[in-house]
Amino acid sequence: MKRKYLLIIICILGSVKNYAQKYKLDNVTIEELQEKVCPKDAGASAAILFQKGRTYFEFNQNTGFTLITEVETKIKIYKKEGYDWANKAVSIYIGGNSDENVDFSKAVTYNLINGQIEKSKLKSDGEFFEKINKYWSKRKIALPNVKVGSIIEYKYTLKSPYISTFPDWQFQNTIPVYYSEYSTDIPEYYFYNVYRKGFFTAIETKDKLPKSIRIDEKSAVGGVIKGGFTHDIQEINYVMNRTIYKLENVPALKEESFVNNIDNYTASLQHELSGKKMPQSPFESFSTTWEDVTKKIYDNDDFGTQLNKNNYYEANLKAFLTGLTTPEEKITAVFKYVQSTMNWNKFYSYTCDDGVKKAYDTKVGNVAEINLMLVSMLRYIDLNANPVLVSTRANGISLYPSRTAYNSVIASVLINGNLLLLDATSKFAKVGILPIRDLNWLGRMIKKDGTSEMVELMPKQSSMDVVKALVTLDKDGIFSGQIREQHLDYNALRWRENYSGLSNDNIVENKEKENKGLEISDFELTESANLEETLGEKYAIKASNSAEIIGDKMYFSPLIYFATKENPFKQDKREYPVDFSYPFMDKYMFNITIPDNYQVESLPKPMALAMADNYGTFNYTVTNTGNKIQLMVTLDVKTSIIPAEDYLTLKEFFKTAIEKQNEKIVLKKI
Amino acid sequence: MNYKFIILFIFTCVSAVKAQKFEYSSLLIPENLKENANSIIRFQSINVNIISQKSLEIKTKKAITVFNYKGLSNVDAREYFSKSEKINAIEAIVYNSFGKEIKRIKRSDFKDQSVVDGFSILTDGRTLFLDYTPTEYPFTIVFESETKTSNTAFLPSWSPIDDYFESVEKSDISIHFPSDLGFKLKEINFEGRNILKNLQANSITYSVENLVAERPEDFSPSENKVLPKVKFSLEKFFLEGVEGNIKNWSEYGSWTYNNLLSDTEAISDETKTKIKMLVGNESDPIKKARIIYQYVQDKTRYVSIQLGIGGWKPMLAKEVDRLGYGDCKALANYTRVLLKNVGVQSFYTVIYGNQNKKDFEQDFVSMQGNHIILALPDNEKLIFLECTSQSSPFGYQGTFTDDRFALLVKPEKGEIIKTNEYSEKASCQIGKGKYEIDQDGNLSGNFEIKSKGIQYANKYTLESNSKENTEAYYKAYFSWINNLKLEKISFKNDKETIEFSEDLKLYAQNYGTINGSSMVFAVNAFDQNSNVPQRYRNRKNPLEISRGFYDESEMEVILPQGFKLESKPDNFEIKGKFGEYKMELSVGSNKIIFKRYLLINKGIYDKSEYENYRKFREQIAKSDNSKIVLTKNQ
Repeated sequence: MKRKYLLIIICILGSVKNYAQKYKLDNVTIEELQEKVCPKDAGASAAILFQKGRTYFEFNQNTGFTLITEVETKIKIYKKEGYDWANKAVSIYIGGNSDENVDFSKAVTYNLINGQIEKSKLKSDGEFFEKINKYWSKRKIALPNVKVGSIIEYKYTLKSPYISTFPDWQFQNTIPVYYSEYSTDIPEYYFYNVYRKGFFTAIETKDKLPKSIRIDEKSAVGGVIKGGFTHDIQEINYVMNRTIYKLENVPALKEESFVNNIDNYTASLQHELSGKKMPQSPFESFSTTWEDVTKKIYDNDDFGTQLNKNNYYEANLKAFLTGLTTPEEKITAVFKYVQSTMNWNKFYSYTCDDGVKKAYDTKVGNVAEINLMLVSMLRYIDLNANPVLVSTRANGISLYPSRTAYNSVIASVLINGNLLLLDATSKFAKVGILPIRDLNWLGRMIKKDGTSEMVELMPKQSSMDVVKALVTLDKDGIFSGQIREQHLDYNALRWRENYSGLSNDNIVENKEKENKGLEISDFELTESANLEETLGEKYAIKASNSAEIIGDKMYFSPLIYFATKENPFKQDKREYPVDFSYPFMDKYMFNITIPDNYQVESLPKPMALAMADNYGTFNYTVTNTGNKIQLMVTLDVKTSIIPAEDYLTLKEFFKTAIEKQNEKIVLKKI
Repeated sequence: MNYKFIILFIFTCVSAVKAQKFEYSSLLIPENLKENANSIIRFQSINVNIISQKSLEIKTKKAITVFNYKGLSNVDAREYFSKSEKINAIEAIVYNSFGKEIKRIKRSDFKDQSVVDGFSILTDGRTLFLDYTPTEYPFTIVFESETKTSNTAFLPSWSPIDDYFESVEKSDISIHFPSDLGFKLKEINFEGRNILKNLQANSITYSVENLVAERPEDFSPSENKVLPKVKFSLEKFFLEGVEGNIKNWSEYGSWTYNNLLSDTEAISDETKTKIKMLVGNESDPIKKARIIYQYVQDKTRYVSIQLGIGGWKPMLAKEVDRLGYGDCKALANYTRVLLKNVGVQSFYTVIYGNQNKKDFEQDFVSMQGNHIILALPDNEKLIFLECTSQSSPFGYQGTFTDDRFALLVKPEKGEIIKTNEYSEKASCQIGKGKYEIDQDGNLSGNFEIKSKGIQYANKYTLESNSKENTEAYYKAYFSWINNLKLEKISFKNDKETIEFSEDLKLYAQNYGTINGSSMVFAVNAFDQNSNVPQRYRNRKNPLEISRGFYDESEMEVILPQGFKLESKPDNFEIKGKFGEYKMELSVGSNKIIFKRYLLINKGIYDKSEYENYRKFREQIAKSDNSKIVLTKNQ
């Protein structure tokens, strides 16, 4: 073990000198400027040659510690498409008692002109300040004289009075990063949790350095009249903990479809204050374990106490629960009541803004106000209801215990051993069906006694789409007949999110647009407004482009135009897990009558296909009796997430299933 | 004085009484207005008072009923402000469906935000806007505002229909103007709309009622050719400290030159020397311009900075020279200044830059346009330079500025000109290739595509794409080929002739579907056009094909050993006003030569022709995807 450590240290020491020269500003070489193509990624439009950040504390006797973050960046521009990297903006928070501020310095563009290095410095006219709104403003720079081949450099210093979180450090970016270094100098008084994300792990070195601060205590002597003061200068010694994180050769982030949130896979660091221990004071904890985190949240006035208020809705609630007997009926009734009366103002938080009572009166609230109100009502009717903290998909996956890991809250109720999840902020959600934004791995349920446990958010059961067809194929190759589609669970939620509020004409035109040669008539929707019933579409079709007559034969897929035409998985490699949001099952039951003067020459063979690890199955059977053809197809993807390692299996599964769907029945003229 | 006040007082009393009478209940809305409507403008009243050349007041009152969340964005309760534009009053009241007041929103409850347009590095415009969370649908918002500005170069225009899926119960505008400022107006697309007009000596009013919600339709002429609008303008105006007095385009041009351009031309001696050296002994002005254009493309980049004179005055040429960036005005003007210094004359050209062609309105002299390009005289013709692009070939115009009227700014006068148009045949794509199908139906082949004219614009950016994006592009481009693998992709971008060539080597497993002993595949493997316009049950707009094109291709198809041709599609040809198409197969032993061409004409047609055009494209798509059948030799 020891040997290994030694080796690492030697390696690091060995390269320190090299680093020191290479990763310093104002040290541009002719070779760097001459480089035409990024050697690590020929397609890159620019590359970060190095980026170094340092966060440290500055002490001021009056204001205490201020957080200072200095960042130095050196970027090489390889292509014109990379020009935007020569503009930089830093956002600062101005909505609190004291503002953050940021200063740019050492911003320079380097070019190679006739074999000479030419420096163009950023002047004040290239620096801009913009007030975005009352909370945020931005400082921006646009570097001068940027060309293909230029190297640009800048440094900025961000000063913040908010020491509870550091700025996030991103090792990875949409362009390659040759070297990224982040260091933190933290006085012994503060403790931070460090969260790491992504596929690349930075090399970490730690050190302890002695430091001191001077406090000048002025006190009057001999009364005011004499006007004398003594200066009592106190020097306090403390230890500063230095941590340096280094990562080399980080490839550019790749965009892919079916990705939950790219931030989950970006190599980065986050720091969150977990505790503080001042001299002569006891240790004060902010968050270290999930239990600490939940306890803190529970003790928060905007969370825990909000659950105990009930006088504001008591009277109304009693009125609409009369006559309901089973707990299931009551849960549905309470959920629908909150869902229909309350309106979400699009703000996420697990704590309340104005409080549940005000929200109830105005009928508008943030996520916490709406869902904590729901939990409170469910508890009021003696159900075992608890809030569940969630991190929405846009917020990223919560891997570590911290108060900022979660940004939202939903409700849960335990009934007959089943845990039902509810989110009343969506007008299309149901008991047990959450809006898609909530489907993000794990949530944390917080119980009355302040204890907590993990809750699986990803749905287990497949959401179905069922399509039934009763159609006739005529001698000209035109299909006509009746189609019924049913969308269940999450498929119904998605359908409603896309189509509710559209007229039937619009829905029909959308369908026709997606399928060449399709004409739809007699369109009817069933239960699009009543969320409790199955959502159905019923219509008549005339499909003129789904069968081909070649010579005395006719070719068509028995799925008519419902066959998936393209494999959604086309790339040969996959970096990130495939995220379908929820498991699903598509089921097709078709009945086709063929024209009189034709007979079946060949039918596709049946197929039963299963993906490894029970990720999914595909079943296909087509049979023929007389002039009738029966088709039964199911595609079942049984899990929401498929790891990247299994991508090729998934791709092959879809390829085979889609080819089968497109296989043709051949009819021959008699 | 007193007298005036009394009249004013009575007037406000009357209007207050009238306002109270309006019923905000959404139950009273006529049924026909609800169809296809996510929201309805119950009434909108814009009152514009031009007090003097340097003073303009606008009062707006708008009541909108919103039926569902899709209509929420139509509320648009917002006003803009800056150093020269002030918001004097702004408020909103929300009513429920019975017309009962449920919320009052004061100025301090409106959100104050910078006008972030997503690409400007800086703007000095700000906005106050209402961010309302509805508690029930339908609801009605009554929004009132008063603004004041010293800028009279831009008067509000009247567009009673300003959103799709929105009906209008009533909309009006009235403008009061002093008679000595040269007030003028232009009515657009009034045909078939029952718009009332009341013209007095110093005021004019337009009003319209009961406009049924419109829907967007594909292949429609752009909104400015379809929707009703009245534009207003003054001959004598004021813009951010500059006065104007303009009666015609000629004066407009010289005003622009004198106020916005003439004092921007200074440039350092060093730069002068440098560009003179670059040009050397070259005497041909076009060749000189090519050198300068290349120099600008290499030196500068586009950064949007919308500041000063409402963003109408370009940055000084010497600033662009020093910083190496600027917006469209700055870069076009900088190029012009450099050209001038090497003795080449070119003209700052104001245009509407948009994919949908939009003309400068020749018959309405006013400040127009949103983009600047440069025009270079070449004998009788004009060559246009897009100065914001670092990769566009010299003289190439893409879909952003082609074929439309624009304003040329000469030092002494302005002139309306038309930018260049690419004919159908000039916007061509020529494909040539060969492929082979093996006994398992696998395809391997190569295809070369050469694109010119407007089709060049769709292609030349491929060069700078990442490998992943390029692959994704071809997988979508050849969407009918499943399991496509691109074995080789190479490009040639000839900026002299403005032609882009793609050379592809392709492989696709199971391109031919095997059914028992037969194999089926679409013979046209590489050049299908499956675009069929959407069907509309009740189309309202004319059909416009804004740009024509011509595609031609030839493929040699090698059939697998051990199979014989069972059937092949018949040759197919179709000709009409929309264009021409021809597909031809000639069968040899073991191989087929496939030839095809497609010509689509530019044109505008009556709405009744839409269905015909759809059918025309449907037949082409069908023919392009027609299959041949092979059977295994027994």
